Amino acid sequence: MIVAVADTGPIIHLDEIDALDLLSVVDELIVPKTVYEELKVGTVPSALTHIEYDVVESEVDEGVPIDLDPGETAALAVAAERSAVLLSDDLAARDAGESLGVEVHGSIGVIVLAHTRGEVEKSVAIEQMKALQTETTLFITEAIVEQGITLLDEVE
Amino acid sequence: MATDLTERVQEIAKERDVPESKILEQALERGVEDLWIDLVLSRYINDEINREAAIGLIGRDRVKRAERELQAVEDDIQWGLDA
Repeated sequence: MIVAVADTGPIIHLDEIDALDLLSVVDELIVPKTVYEELKVGTVPSALTHIEYDVVESEVDEGVPIDLDPGETAALAVAAERSAVLLSDDLAARDAGESLGVEVHGSIGVIVLAHTRGEVEKSVAIEQMKALQTETTLFITEAIVEQGITLLDEVE
Repeated sequence: MATDLTERVQEIAKERDVPESKILEQALERGVEDLWIDLVLSRYINDEINREAAIGLIGRDRVKRAERELQAVEDDIQWGLDA
């Protein structure tokens, strides 16, 4: 069973490729209130209304690095507290998570998970991975995405 | 998109008080630089050039960033496949 806490990154980036529904592939999705408030500063993606998730308050203790932004900090704190996976596309949040023993994965992980669980065909997953690099505000090197696609394509 | 680009070039030129042609020249230089970095990283990731060569061409920070990105993507894919 996968319990995941979402930071703003995957919510925004998956919405930018019209794939926000993929977040429902995790068994339990948690959105910290701070993250939700950050989304409201822009526009809360309308597709989020079609996903089941819990909005929770977070208490940040001293172990959580404060050099992350408030949403990342809150998401990391909730993930650590609940032994959940943190969903973030931020490398600094990933490093911070690892230092606290929190498993961290990003939008690409969600896409591959959705494929593994039969929600999307491999060809669709590959197109979505390409779109993450070309059509979203996520900064990721093109060659890295291509390498990821090669890894996925070699499976099965 | 074309309209966006034209308007942005006009706005940047106005803000910097330089001709639009100068902005287009700078945009071309930056664009080619980005494409060059992508090419070098692609060659490095595909083992066509070694790490030191990549660092010599585009700098240590960019190579280290790409290595961290690659590790993250590989971890994500493995997680997605195993979960």
